[in-house]
Amino acid sequence: MSPTRFLTDLSLHSLLYYNCRDSCEGISVESMTVDKDVRRLVAQSAESEAAPDGKTCLVINLKTTASISRSQGVPPKEVEITALKQGIIPSRYLRNIGTIGLEGQIKLLQSTVGVVGAGGLGSTVIELLARQGIVRLIVVDNDHFAEQNLNRQIMSTEENLGEYKVLVAAKRVKEINSATSVTTFRERLTRENAQGLLSGAHVVVDGLDNLPSRLVVEHACRQLAIPYVYASIAGFSGQLMTIFPGDVGLSSLYGSASNTAPEQGVETRIGNPPATVAMIAALQVQEVVKIITGVGTPIRNQILFVDTREFAIDRIELGR
Amino acid sequence: MALITVRFYSLWRSYLGADSTPLQADHIQDALTQLEEKFGNQLREKLETAGVHLEGKIQDYSLILLNGTTLRNLNSTALKEGDVLHIFPPVIGG
Repeated sequence: MSPTRFLTDLSLHSLLYYNCRDSCEGISVESMTVDKDVRRLVAQSAESEAAPDGKTCLVINLKTTASISRSQGVPPKEVEITALKQGIIPSRYLRNIGTIGLEGQIKLLQSTVGVVGAGGLGSTVIELLARQGIVRLIVVDNDHFAEQNLNRQIMSTEENLGEYKVLVAAKRVKEINSATSVTTFRERLTRENAQGLLSGAHVVVDGLDNLPSRLVVEHACRQLAIPYVYASIAGFSGQLMTIFPGDVGLSSLYGSASNTAPEQGVETRIGNPPATVAMIAALQVQEVVKIITGVGTPIRNQILFVDTREFAIDRIELGR
Repeated sequence: MALITVRFYSLWRSYLGADSTPLQADHIQDALTQLEEKFGNQLREKLETAGVHLEGKIQDYSLILLNGTTLRNLNSTALKEGDVLHIFPPVIGG
């Protein structure tokens, strides 16, 4: 089957597209014009280091990456991509490469991920995506941190109560990974603004806490022809599914008439504990990594249930 | 009468102490009535113990799929041999 191009967001240096209608092979990376001086400096700066398997590999460290970035006037991500293309691994990603390969890391460094909601699921997702090496995050949230967030929202602290979540997230990402930029929108996602806010994202992740907003995000992602990683939690349980444009989605659970769907569920009674949030957010990030790199198989057209109370993991194939 | 399987997920499985139960029914409503008779009180008592008070029947506070399709999207309520009803609570938090 010929590749289906869902993406039209092209940078000057790269052309990204998904090969995924019946299967997902991740984002493809085509030719990239690399500055010869950057390539030379990266090659000269590479150092030998013992890889996790004991073999020797070439790496470039954070300080050198920043130095080349500054001296050549190119973003850190361009230095990192240039290194990876020469088989030189930025040290910060050394423990990623065994899982996703050099090309997988390059794809992450060329991808934009939208995160709607920067609270429970969302803030953990943002933290992990920055560490994974996603190059740009679009974060949408109109709320600020409050005391009841402290139990599970990983970016909330006693010090930053009252601060806007998107601003805290942007600051945190900058501390974690200088190659990752954050575009923040301190507003509520609506049916009217959703496509505009999420434009440019290759994948959108759900960090929400109510069903009506999730339906808005799902609709926007279908319109933008990009995958949406849905998840929700309550008590010891969480659920997740990845929805590509032609896949079944939330209507498979809640019906086609959105006005009959509940706004909230049993979490209002049995709570949102921190470990459940972290666990399900981590699974969402794995879905993003699989979608972008093409490694592994996203959970599509089915819903995953994880229940750690008695420990059970189930999947149900969904119909329309 | 069709022999079907009802599968419980998430919190319902924990509270009912069962993964699944067989039922014989020709229509979904028959199956839901039997489900309520067999498990309704047990589930509400467990929830009450956890401090959660719910009014109504299991079907009133559950999401239910027939062979992976929500009952809300079904055209027919007839059951056939081997059908599977999936039942679980709405989980919407984040």
